Amino acid sequence: MNPNHPQKHIITYSTPSPGAATSSVTGGDVTEKGKNMWDEEDAGVDELLAMLGYKVKSADMVDVAQKIEHLEGVLGNDDELSQIASDSVHYNPSDLNSWLESMICELNPSPEPPMIDDSFMNATLPDSELQAIAGNAIYPPLKKLKPNCSSSSSASASASSTYNPNPNNLNQNQVVLVDSQENGIRLVHTLMACAEAVQQENFQLAESLVKQAGMLAVSQAGAMRKVATCFVEALARRIYRLSPPTPQDPPAFSDLLQMHFYETCPYLKFAHFTANQAILEAFAGKKKVHVIDFGMKQGMQWPALMQALALRPGGPPTFRLTGIGPPSGDNTDHLQEVGWKLAQLAETVHVKFEFRGFIAGSLADLEPAMFDLRTDEVLAVNSVFELHQLLARPGAIEKVLSAVKEMKPELLTVVEQEANHNGLNFLERFTESLHYYSTLFDSLESSGTGSGGLDGGGILPVTNQDKFMSEVYLGKQICNVVACEGTDRVERHETLTQWKIRLDSAGFEAVHLGSNAFKQASMLLALFAGGDGYRVEEDNGCLMLGWHTRPLITTSAWKIR
Amino acid sequence: MAGSNEINANEAKKVVPLHTWILISNFKLAYNMLRRPDGTFNRELAEFLDRKVSANTVPVDGVYSFDVVDRTTSLLNRIYRCAPPESESGRQLGAGIIELEKPLSSTEIVPVIIFFHGGSFTHSSANSAIYDTFCRRLAGLVHGVVVSVNYRRSPEHRFPCAYEDGWETLKWVHSRSWLLSGKDSKVHVYLAGDSSGGNIAHHVAHRAAISGVEVLGNILLHPLFGGEERMESERKLDGKYFVKLQDRDWYWRAFLPEGETRDHPACNIFGPRGSSLTGLNFPKSLVVVAGLDLVQDWQLAYYEGLQRSGQDVKLLFLKKATIGFYFLPNNEHFYTLMEEMKNFIKSGVC
Repeated sequence: MNPNHPQKHIITYSTPSPGAATSSVTGGDVTEKGKNMWDEEDAGVDELLAMLGYKVKSADMVDVAQKIEHLEGVLGNDDELSQIASDSVHYNPSDLNSWLESMICELNPSPEPPMIDDSFMNATLPDSELQAIAGNAIYPPLKKLKPNCSSSSSASASASSTYNPNPNNLNQNQVVLVDSQENGIRLVHTLMACAEAVQQENFQLAESLVKQAGMLAVSQAGAMRKVATCFVEALARRIYRLSPPTPQDPPAFSDLLQMHFYETCPYLKFAHFTANQAILEAFAGKKKVHVIDFGMKQGMQWPALMQALALRPGGPPTFRLTGIGPPSGDNTDHLQEVGWKLAQLAETVHVKFEFRGFIAGSLADLEPAMFDLRTDEVLAVNSVFELHQLLARPGAIEKVLSAVKEMKPELLTVVEQEANHNGLNFLERFTESLHYYSTLFDSLESSGTGSGGLDGGGILPVTNQDKFMSEVYLGKQICNVVACEGTDRVERHETLTQWKIRLDSAGFEAVHLGSNAFKQASMLLALFAGGDGYRVEEDNGCLMLGWHTRPLITTSAWKIR
Repeated sequence: MAGSNEINANEAKKVVPLHTWILISNFKLAYNMLRRPDGTFNRELAEFLDRKVSANTVPVDGVYSFDVVDRTTSLLNRIYRCAPPESESGRQLGAGIIELEKPLSSTEIVPVIIFFHGGSFTHSSANSAIYDTFCRRLAGLVHGVVVSVNYRRSPEHRFPCAYEDGWETLKWVHSRSWLLSGKDSKVHVYLAGDSSGGNIAHHVAHRAAISGVEVLGNILLHPLFGGEERMESERKLDGKYFVKLQDRDWYWRAFLPEGETRDHPACNIFGPRGSSLTGLNFPKSLVVVAGLDLVQDWQLAYYEGLQRSGQDVKLLFLKKATIGFYFLPNNEHFYTLMEEMKNFIKSGVC
């Protein structure tokens, strides 16, 4: 779009897989304990359809076929019904059985049992269809799907090269677009070599490499230059053991940085929007609602929710908001200020509002008893970029999730970065984050300064200051991921797959965000996003916002099982 | 009428395996909901329902993939490449960096297939799971590179957008130093596509022939052609195997310029408004026709038209195949097709 951009070459990365050039892409290790989520969930799932993105249990195949046939009969010649089906909200299209079921219920409130069609009962069983065609090099060997077969190959094993189309797969890495000059390629090589040297504790080599990388970085332009500079600085901090590895900023400054990030690109707006949608749905029809925000900051998420509540048919509920924030260190009660502004807004939109602020050094310090939970109230707990920080201290996340569970919320909304920056292996972390932040910076580069697409960032033009501060904001994250360890390293991002395991074992299950939220998020993007490359994707009921095909932020919603 | 739906469902069930029936019928069901009678399309729901996969630089079955955004055209292409054999590692950096500065090979010819996914110009994307899987297989089959194009779709982008995007990609591919191969050091390009993708492949090849850009071969998998006239196959097979004629008509109305008829040259290649291919340096073609596809008479007319124009064309007619037979490796037509495609490319490569 910008004719001045040099042609880009591409360098791809794969995470180091010991030995094999052909590694299987399966569920893989999602936690250090090696527990494989896919093992349990995917037992008995039809392989052929799984390759194409659908989760259908082999045992359900005939049932699914019948449902399709039934719906074809119902929708087939009826345009109106088709449109009703189109306009209704859809959930989890991967799970064909439930998706079809929900449509059947929707279109036929008193469902007659679908006509049992005998022809399917006689259809060839899955087994025979899936007999591996011996010697076929094109298609990977299929596992036999006898329902009672105990030896069905575990997805975590060895060489079974089952293709897992799940985009959450941990082991994938995306493309890094770099400048076409030789220096660009050399720069990336140098960064990677430096990271490897650091991992091997060869600090002399690392030192000379980081200096080289620094020089190469300034020869670059655009996003590459900025991202490389951040990584160079982070590596330098680690190598020279600068203490503290990352400067401790007062919370007010971090909040300020995040606000600029909020203005510059749609990620936070998307996160707030989708979380609010889920909260609104959970609050439907309730007269008294309470939201606990784990990271109050400037309260950017809540004006929109408040307005949506105000406009509810049937009138707004009483809205109570409890905001949690870190100690400000300068004797101002900044939470109260934020609360006060929200209270003023509430008055103008005629919503009965109550605010309470809590200062806590860590979410793990909180106890349910502190929150004055009222029995006639519906509770939603909201966490945007807060949970990953808890992973820095053992036991913290478990404590917090258990506390949330005790509070009996109707909903827990979670927004997190979609990346694994918490692996044990430094080089892997480095590689992952290099990809992630390169993509992020790339998207920043296209925001708002008139680069094709919509002019500006939509309603308000993005200023250069916004962009610069966003880069500082991201730079601090990079520093933390690369230069810090132990309790200092708080940017311990994990993927949806990983969070799912944690939340599952804490007793939560996913609430699907439906096609409605997806549609509205897409529309919002079209209106407010500066660059053309933003994409919303649905994954297992959660919504992800990404740049081109790389998901970067995930919103998910959870309830107690 | 529910009755005739039943009959047709039974017909289809007899000729395809259960998995295929579920897959294609599921698409049919979803697509019916997405097309609106007024010619508009529920794009958001379509994107929500479409199962997509990310690219993966970790090789699966020896093929890895990555996405490229060309800044000048902002087209997103997904590239599939065969992973180099282990002996070629030399990756002392430990993180598996694969450089894309060097040509594919300086001695061997490595085919580069530009693939246009199907979806009647309206559905699917390069990163749709069905097409990602197919392209991955194709790359492994020919030991080459597949470039899957994410062309702009109708009704938001009508004719000639998809063709333009195809043309841009062809030029882009020819200009990539890292796609060169062979002792003659050039990009050995083939075009391929299924359904609407086949139609796009034809038109891009046509433009290439006129402009002197080299394309070594075309593979058209039940390509989408049509015309105002109703052919016998359209009458006989209407509604029988997943596809209704009225659906085909909807897609043409959504793709062709408003007010146009199906005799538009984009649609009716050798019809009253088509241009002659005689004497053109048109690439050799492999035209695959599914015997249970209602569009087959148009595809056969295309085949005959190419022959009459003196062009090199091979017809692969799969009598009992329905549309989409190549998505799942659970039928003989799939394997026949793979073999034919492999030989078609190989014969160009020797």
